[in-house]
Amino acid sequence: MMHVSADVREDTTRPRADKISVKDLDFYYGDFQALTGITVGIKERGVTAFIGPSGCGKSTFLRCFNRMNDLIPGTKVDGTILVDGEDIYAPGVDPVDLRRRVGMIFQQPNPFPMSIYDNVAFGPRLHGVTKKPELDEIVERSLERANLWKEVKEILPRGGLTLSGGQQQRLCIARVLAVEPDIMLMDEPCSAIDPTSVQKIEDLMDELKDRITIIIVTHNMQQAARVSDETAFFLQEKTGQPAEMVEFGRTAEIFTSPKDRRTEDYITGRFG
Amino acid sequence: MREGFRKELKDLKAEVIGIGRSVIDVTKLATRSLVEGDVDLAAQVIAGDDDLDARCLGIEEHSLEITATQFPVARDLRLLHSLAYIAMHFERMGDLGVNIAKAARRTASRRGPQTLYDLIQAQGNLVHRVLEAMLEALEKNDLELARKLELLDEPIDHLYKQFFRELARLQAEEDIEWASSMVLASRYLERIADHAVDIGERITYMVTGEFEQMGEGTPETDS
Repeated sequence: MMHVSADVREDTTRPRADKISVKDLDFYYGDFQALTGITVGIKERGVTAFIGPSGCGKSTFLRCFNRMNDLIPGTKVDGTILVDGEDIYAPGVDPVDLRRRVGMIFQQPNPFPMSIYDNVAFGPRLHGVTKKPELDEIVERSLERANLWKEVKEILPRGGLTLSGGQQQRLCIARVLAVEPDIMLMDEPCSAIDPTSVQKIEDLMDELKDRITIIIVTHNMQQAARVSDETAFFLQEKTGQPAEMVEFGRTAEIFTSPKDRRTEDYITGRFG
Repeated sequence: MREGFRKELKDLKAEVIGIGRSVIDVTKLATRSLVEGDVDLAAQVIAGDDDLDARCLGIEEHSLEITATQFPVARDLRLLHSLAYIAMHFERMGDLGVNIAKAARRTASRRGPQTLYDLIQAQGNLVHRVLEAMLEALEKNDLELARKLELLDEPIDHLYKQFFRELARLQAEEDIEWASSMVLASRYLERIADHAVDIGERITYMVTGEFEQMGEGTPETDS
């Protein structure tokens, strides 16, 4: 059941602790400071949406959680990000292991040029699972959880790239789920796929969030309102200035009575 | 496209204010028909109610259409929702005006003591003041005025109680049907003002996003 209001959900679950705690985060691309002073707690077992105009740093912020930005030369992070209380930028943290715990889905579905089966088995193999029955089980379970099993169980040896765009995106989700992450980052996961597939992915997010903390960057305000429990609004006030997190709160509240005038102006389409 | 949407909201609000203006007229005319025993005026008020109802329904339909097609949020959502809510109040206020006109029809054949007519007229004047203030608060998004409505409503409740007492004193010599129609009319006036106070609460929500509960302006006697 998807369109349950945040209020109802919160009443029926135990209190949700912070899965990710960010404190005084600044982010730099070389000399350019992209983000400033972000402090926020992302709750476990829920969906948090990041919204804001293009170039407001929301994807940059998202990529901090699995240290994807490390791959871009000259980037620098100040401040702390704790996942389950552990500083993910501390020396000794293995980014590869971090990225297993913090999976990522991109705007453009990016299956590997290999079979559907191998796409899903890729991660577990990388992490040392080699026995066929065990892999079979992981592949089936992950595809089930991604709501794709029924559609592909007869065609597992077929190439992942032969699937439709929406199916490819769910295959990518299955590939992430196969390594049992606690957190899933989704960067505009629905902007390149058709409405029916969008619906399926939104339903999927709702099913997954009981076990996985999901953070989604989306330009689609209605999607943010539909799928998320909490929403953060980012804004770069002037070109060349760092962006900041203007407001963070319960989604239902952000979309009815936002506290900050800039949030209100943005979500009501008065700029951006 | 967003510009068109905003114009639609503006027009919708203007239409709601127009309905509010009609409600004020209905209340004024209904009160006059009662005080002056003018059955023709009463008939005119009663006949106008269908049109008022249709306009209120139109607001609800229009606001549903905008909600379905434009995905309003935040202040736009609050405005849209509040306008539909206020239109619903206006429809009920119009019905109460009709009830006063019907009371005028029932009581016109018999002239009671002037004190009672004076009391009703005084009450009507105060209700008129509350309605004007309510409509101005809505038009200008005036929080201060919206919050003042409850205060303006207080003397109306007192007058209703006074009317009730006066009537009880006279009742022995008055026709019971006449007396009950008059007391009901006073009650309807008092209810109209209560609706205005509720609208004031809605205006504060519309502007601030916070629900502010004002005190209960209803007297103990229930209809």
